[in-house]
Amino acid sequence: MKSNTLFKLLLLSFVLTTSLLSSSQMTQALKEKKIYPMGEKIYNSKCKNVEITSYKTYDSLLNAIEKESLCGSLNKKHSEALSLYIWDVKKAPKTKYEKLTVTEKDKCQVCGMHTHHYPTWVTRIKYPKGETYNFDGAKCMFKFYFNNVEGITEVLVQDYYTLETLEARDSYFVVGSDVYGPMGHELIAFKDEKSAKTFSLEHKGEKVLFFDEITEYMVRSLGR
Amino acid sequence: MAGKINFYLLEYTYRYILRYKFKNLFITVVMSLLVGLLASVFFISNAMKDEYNSILNNYPDIIITNQKAMKESTIQESHSAELLELKGVSSVVGRVWGKYYFSSGDKVFTLLAKDEFETYINPLLNNTPTLSKDSMLVSRGVMESLKLGYYDEYFNFIKSDGTLKRVDVSGTFDGGNTLENSSFIIISKEDAKEIFDYKEDEVTDLAVSVANKNEVGYIAGKIMTLLPNAKVSIKDDLRVKYENIYNLRSGFFLTIFIITFFTFFMIIYDKVSGLNSEQKREIGVLKALGWRVSDVLNSKLYEGLIISLFSYIVGVLMAFVYVYIFNAPLLKNIFLNNYDILSDFRIYFSVDYETLALLFFLSVPIYIAATIIPSWRIATLEADEVMR
Repeated sequence: MKSNTLFKLLLLSFVLTTSLLSSSQMTQALKEKKIYPMGEKIYNSKCKNVEITSYKTYDSLLNAIEKESLCGSLNKKHSEALSLYIWDVKKAPKTKYEKLTVTEKDKCQVCGMHTHHYPTWVTRIKYPKGETYNFDGAKCMFKFYFNNVEGITEVLVQDYYTLETLEARDSYFVVGSDVYGPMGHELIAFKDEKSAKTFSLEHKGEKVLFFDEITEYMVRSLGR
Repeated sequence: MAGKINFYLLEYTYRYILRYKFKNLFITVVMSLLVGLLASVFFISNAMKDEYNSILNNYPDIIITNQKAMKESTIQESHSAELLELKGVSSVVGRVWGKYYFSSGDKVFTLLAKDEFETYINPLLNNTPTLSKDSMLVSRGVMESLKLGYYDEYFNFIKSDGTLKRVDVSGTFDGGNTLENSSFIIISKEDAKEIFDYKEDEVTDLAVSVANKNEVGYIAGKIMTLLPNAKVSIKDDLRVKYENIYNLRSGFFLTIFIITFFTFFMIIYDKVSGLNSEQKREIGVLKALGWRVSDVLNSKLYEGLIISLFSYIVGVLMAFVYVYIFNAPLLKNIFLNNYDILSDFRIYFSVDYETLALLFFLSVPIYIAATIIPSWRIATLEADEVMR
């Protein structure tokens, strides 16, 4: 009997904390892929001139949008999307790396292949004076990296799932999967460990490694 | 001698052609008709191919519909939350669209619904202005059909329960040059749901975009396990389907192509296999008068060039006029189903150099060779031998 009440109490506290902490019951993926783009569109078309900083809590912002029609009349779904976008994205802008685009002239620094044939595999290394080197895959990039570590400012790779540009030194890599790049066996980059593990399970990956765990020997032995 | 045109020789050739007026005229007519027919078929089929490709570019990577009694049916929009959880899916949009049969005009309209703040793959939906309630935008083709039914400012849609829904026409848009767009109506999601009698959470299909195209197959597989009753179709499958329909029809043209070319080659073969005695004697006389072999061959080269180039140019011009000015009246219908929206398809002008080059090399050099080779056989003999 006692354990039952304890369980109920635990459950109640869990429900309370989750509902209090999250601004709504949406998952992160849903927010990122659906709500924020919608919110951005509403924001750009309807309320460019809103003073964002004057709202201290999420609820006051939502209230202002929904009840006081801060940005014209919007239905419930739209006003929620708008306020979530303002609250989560506009108020805390994250540093974003540029999209890795290449021209027809660009070649991989290591293997010499034209990179524009494989836009999803492009990786890039930058130096402080603006020297930029493109590669046609993480493997070539690592070969270059280990020989010229000094002074590198940015090491950019693309997330396999989202094609978003990432700083390689904060990313996870899957080795030994059945997905091949332009140069055969590849290290596939991911933003977070979870997606790296999902990928590894689905594509028969051997290991999930953080950037620091990757050694030159490992990279060289991929080209066997 | 090379690089210079011998005008005396050219004049001789010209008179030679006129001497065999009927024969040469016949060859010219047949050859220009042949080139013209093939060129127009190629022009039409290329235009169709571009059309299909441009339609496919506006398709999402994966389309999910539900099935009821093995027929495609509507799906719940709330599934999109589950789908967005899949790694690699970049967006899921619940689309509301469908066909509407306008019985008194005997036309089928395509209704596309949009939500003001959603982003679609079809640029038409993103670029059109915001719609207020009970209003719609119609393409020019639809406006014409509506006017025939005296609907200038509004249209009464008949709902599935038989009642009417009045929707105002707030404007027209130019659907561009794609096949489908000529029958489009753009309407707000709520209104479309009312016309189609959808429930709150019901949409026609879910359009899934995948950021990395390598993953489309895997993600489609995952969706099939997530929604076991759904029908999941991938863009590439659709491309194959389109290509099959298209190839079936172009197979018909391949037959025409082969038949016409066999006919052409038969004429050529006949020409190569020998000259008649009169033509032989003429070459003999020319040689006896002191013409060199090269002079005879040059005059034959001019003959072949004049006839084949002239018929090639006439044929291509005929094809241009027929396809691009008259919009290919009969041939086009073989490619299109004449009872649907596609029949309004207008072919837009573009010069297809590949086709023109193909036809050029299949007609002009072959004809020239066919005129020179038999004459060369005769011209290399001694004059008395030929005339004997």
